[in-house]
Amino acid sequence: MAKKLIDISHISKSYGDNLVLDDLNLFINENRFLTLLGPSGCGKTTLLRILGGFETPDAGNIIFDGVDITNLAPNKRQLNTVFQKYALFTHMTIAENIAFGLKIKGKSKAYINDKIKYALKLVNLDGYENRMADQLSGGQQQRIAIARAIVNEPKVLLLDEPLGALDLKLRQDMQYELIRLKNELGITFVYVTHDQEEALTMSDTIVVMNQGYIQQIGSPEQIYNEPENAFVADFIGESNILPATMVEDKLVKILGVNFPCVDTGFGRNKPVDAVIRPEDIDLVKPGEGLLDGVVTHLIFKGVHYEMEVTANNYEWLVHSTDFFPVGTEVGIKVDPFDIQIMKKPESEDEEAIPIEE
Amino acid sequence: MIKSMIQKMYLGLILLLLYAPIVTLIVLSFNSSKTRSKWGGFSLKWYASLFENADIMNALYTTLIIALLSALISTLIGTAAAIGMQALNNKFRTTMMAITNIPMLNADIVTGISLMLLFIACRAFYPSFSFGFATVLLAHITFNIPYVILSVIPKLKQTNKYTYEAALDLGASPIYAFFKVVFPDIFPGVCSGFLLAFTMSLDDFVITHFTTGAGVHTLSTKIYSEVRKGIKPEMYALSTLLFVTVLFLLIVVNTAPEQNTSNKKLVRKAPSKFSRIANIAFRRVVPALLVLVIVGGGFFYGAQNRASAGEQVVVYNWGEYIDPKVLDMFEEETGINVVYEEFETNESMYPKVQAGAVSYDLVCPSDYMIQRMLENNLLAEINFDNIPNLKYIGQQYLEQSKAFDPENKYSVPYCWGTVGILYNKTMVDEPIDSWSVLWDEKYEDQILMQNSVRDAFGIALKYLGYSLNSTDLDELQAAKELLMEQKPLVQAYVVDQVRDKMISNEAALGVIYSGEAIYTQSENPDLEYVIPKEGSNVWIDSWVIPKNAKNKENAEAFINFLCRPEIAKMNFDYITYSTPNTAARDLIEDDAIRDSTIAFPNDSELSRCETYQYLGTKFDEIYTELWREIKSK
Amino acid sequence: MKNSKKLLTGPYLFWAIAFIIIPIIMIFFYGLTDADNNFTLMNLAEITTPENLKALGLSLLLSFISTVICLILAYPLAVILSNKNVNQSSFIVLIFILPMWMNFLLRTLAWQTLLEKNGVINAVLSFLHLPELNIINTPYAIVLGMVYNFLPFMVLPIYNVLIKIDKDVINAARDLGANAAQVFTKVILPLSVPGIISGITMVFVPALTTFVISDILGGSKILLIGNVIEQEFTQSYNWHVGSGLSLVLMIFIIFSMALVSKYDKDGEGTAF
Repeated sequence: MAKKLIDISHISKSYGDNLVLDDLNLFINENRFLTLLGPSGCGKTTLLRILGGFETPDAGNIIFDGVDITNLAPNKRQLNTVFQKYALFTHMTIAENIAFGLKIKGKSKAYINDKIKYALKLVNLDGYENRMADQLSGGQQQRIAIARAIVNEPKVLLLDEPLGALDLKLRQDMQYELIRLKNELGITFVYVTHDQEEALTMSDTIVVMNQGYIQQIGSPEQIYNEPENAFVADFIGESNILPATMVEDKLVKILGVNFPCVDTGFGRNKPVDAVIRPEDIDLVKPGEGLLDGVVTHLIFKGVHYEMEVTANNYEWLVHSTDFFPVGTEVGIKVDPFDIQIMKKPESEDEEAIPIEE
Repeated sequence: MIKSMIQKMYLGLILLLLYAPIVTLIVLSFNSSKTRSKWGGFSLKWYASLFENADIMNALYTTLIIALLSALISTLIGTAAAIGMQALNNKFRTTMMAITNIPMLNADIVTGISLMLLFIACRAFYPSFSFGFATVLLAHITFNIPYVILSVIPKLKQTNKYTYEAALDLGASPIYAFFKVVFPDIFPGVCSGFLLAFTMSLDDFVITHFTTGAGVHTLSTKIYSEVRKGIKPEMYALSTLLFVTVLFLLIVVNTAPEQNTSNKKLVRKAPSKFSRIANIAFRRVVPALLVLVIVGGGFFYGAQNRASAGEQVVVYNWGEYIDPKVLDMFEEETGINVVYEEFETNESMYPKVQAGAVSYDLVCPSDYMIQRMLENNLLAEINFDNIPNLKYIGQQYLEQSKAFDPENKYSVPYCWGTVGILYNKTMVDEPIDSWSVLWDEKYEDQILMQNSVRDAFGIALKYLGYSLNSTDLDELQAAKELLMEQKPLVQAYVVDQVRDKMISNEAALGVIYSGEAIYTQSENPDLEYVIPKEGSNVWIDSWVIPKNAKNKENAEAFINFLCRPEIAKMNFDYITYSTPNTAARDLIEDDAIRDSTIAFPNDSELSRCETYQYLGTKFDEIYTELWREIKSK
Repeated sequence: MKNSKKLLTGPYLFWAIAFIIIPIIMIFFYGLTDADNNFTLMNLAEITTPENLKALGLSLLLSFISTVICLILAYPLAVILSNKNVNQSSFIVLIFILPMWMNFLLRTLAWQTLLEKNGVINAVLSFLHLPELNIINTPYAIVLGMVYNFLPFMVLPIYNVLIKIDKDVINAARDLGANAAQVFTKVILPLSVPGIISGITMVFVPALTTFVISDILGGSKILLIGNVIEQEFTQSYNWHVGSGLSLVLMIFIIFSMALVSKYDKDGEGTAF
């Protein structure tokens, strides 16, 4: 069992009337890549800033390595932050930027020079020591921001949407860089993003947040395959979320058709939500599936075709490598273990809301 | 929160520094006493008389119209330039920005002088081009454009250039696209540029000082011309009104009901109809109305005072040297409009008349300066057929005038007097009868000297027993040393301010013209005037008509009017300088004043006094040079 | 399209040549010629006469002192203002512009009333049984006048630079271990240099060349270089010498313009 490094307990924070975090509890283990994922305004950045010491919570504690750091100034914390817009010191050279924290700690010149060399090598920017910060491209600035933080050997590195301003290709490259870095350094990364793909690619643990509450904590596979509620299911990738009734254990009635499934323990004839990922639907000949429908839309997506199949008055989203022209009659078949059953939300907070933006 | 306490205190202290003078001015505007340094009780009379003071209202009108026009024109040119500059290549743009920075960073005095030189050069090509409203307006536009450009450019940089292209793409014409898409984005910058330009124009003195001409005064130049003799309290009243109006506008704009642009995503209440109307009323209508009232009021008064164009006479006189009512009466009686301009010393008057940038019809210099103007052929002979009232001028004054106007052909005496010491009986402890007291270390920092070359040297030369028209270099050197020795004891070198400072007990001793002494005594009975035993200067200020006068007959009519005994008496009552008009003297009711030895000294006193003579260019320069050596010590 | 946009600079270009460039050339022309239009350097040499040199020296000294005082007063002020929330601070910034609506000469003159021997300040001091303040008609009063009149021109550029500093840059410095003092000296101060430089020139140049403040608060006892130039034009009527002395002054102005363009390339530190 990994050691518990940060314990966040009962944190609340509001700005004026706007409640951003409400009685939030979370612990972060050592040497993890933990991602806080959620739409903007969900409180993930606020939580990160509370960890960094730039905000003080209204209530609750942050225990770091057994010590309460809730009210400790940022400069006294063993955490370092990589800021959203990099926040490099534009009046300094790259070397001076990286040396900033070390100089304050009073490290020797030789040590600092070594560290600068090491850090620049680590982020693949050796030889950039004497450039000015604003002469670099966005991706390069990003790496300098990371280098500047890690030379201080923090136990935890906080990253606030660090790849948000980069273009797609660069973002993908940087994702691998970050994973490599984390493994080389052997420290904990707490990463904030609203990009679910990024979260799935990089994380050991994903914390899905919405409206100041944690919706689900789990590994990328758990989050993707077993969303606990409609919000998570909707936020992580495309899905068919269908109102359903749990007839009995391992049998769910969707759109009036009984589907065998693997979930148990929901009771008998209880309303639930069923999630079926579009790639888990097999299209077969009419009559060979559980229900029949007609292909109404077709788009070529490269790896697969994206189709809409109307069946029982519902438009099913289907990804398939097989080609079915519009108008084809098809049968829909789903394997029992591809159906994920979720409780109906009890409170408003957990309700899936459409994501703005 | 000790930190925030300290911050608040610091903020408070700075605000105190910034606003102490403003509060002072506001308080002064309610002071019923005319002098700055005496509280005579609460009064609103200056506010009432403000609206009757044509001079100030005219200056206000000129100031506002120049501020408005220059701000408008510079906003147009500047905004266009800022937009155009975006399209220029880098090199051109940098050059243009460097040029734009010149008026911003250059000293006002250099900008003012350079424009003055330009306008004077223009006169070489268009002799009818003269300094006045147009030159001031051109100058103000020049220094305002950079403020507009620098306000608009940052907004342009923030503007997303693709929105403009999107508008074109959607079929808008470039002009339509600009006004519908780009302009709304940069509008705040244009607005603040306009406001800045307006404020800068309003607050400018230096550049206006160098580019204005006869009869055209902004509030700034008006105030500057009044600084030496004491500001008219109406000016405080006017400034208070302006300030309070702007303050009110500011408060209204800033406290108007918040617009519903808050970023909170929570609940977006539809603004109620009332709050929307209130908002529009507060933010747009009230300020617009106020501005309209101010500007409209300015125009109204301006128009009223300018109605009588046509016949005019341009008069160039000493400051506070005529009863303003006399001007009104003359205008009313003859229909001739008086353009009235003031100077402070003979030395500052001469070059302006000589340069002829403004053609004055009537000037009132002192004796020696008249001699200089005659020698330099600047004066026209007066047609005395037009001045029958000359008969009221005492013969002895015409005789005296022959010293500088040998045939009495060029000048008509207006006022005369002596130079002496005004002292405060309660602040000196010996009888004052000698210039020596001005060198007494006991009175360090209690002495006010005249800030004019001839008067200062005259005193030193007389004290040394020489003639005050000395051209002996050794004598002048000795006088210079004496004045240098005196400098540490002197509180200030002033001209007309001696009056106010003596009244308010700021100093014990002051060198003053006899005419001022009578007024000061009436305000402060502790004051006494003496002509020192070593002798002093007796002077005559006379009306002369420059050669380039455009309205010579009007000038003569004006002189004739002033020589009328009732008018001369009115003037005497107002300015309290001795009049050479014997008929007017007889009209004075108060015999204490009619027989006052200050106003009309006896012959034995006068025999000790000398009249200044013009000493020629060379000695003029020597005097000026020596005086500057003293001043820069 | 782009070309027609360029045409918009036309009126300004004309204006700038007619009323900025040519007038400056006029000063050079007058400054470098004598009364008979012959080339001479005598007008420039006028600055070396002991009186003028003294006036220049005194001007430099007083404007230097005023600039330093302005900087010391303005910096904390700008920091305090920049920490206020936006709405309030725009109001406070306007507070600095507001006094400009009361004429600059009157404001300066009001200091005379305040500072005079029997003036308001001394009345307050004597009421509190404190020693009198006798600085009217001395260089101290001139410095006070300069500081009073030019303080906003120091506060505004610094303020404008400070509010543009990304709060996360300051957070980054704290995150990297800097305490409050280190954040200030290593990050905030260096980043506000453009504003400081721009503020310094905006105070120094007008202070160096003023003739009004020394006139009103110096009792005409103190001759600054601005007074000398003003007198050359309006009293001695010697335009050539006056222009020559203006040229000498322009050396200082050009120097400060160069300083600004070196440290404030992006025009961040503009006052308005």
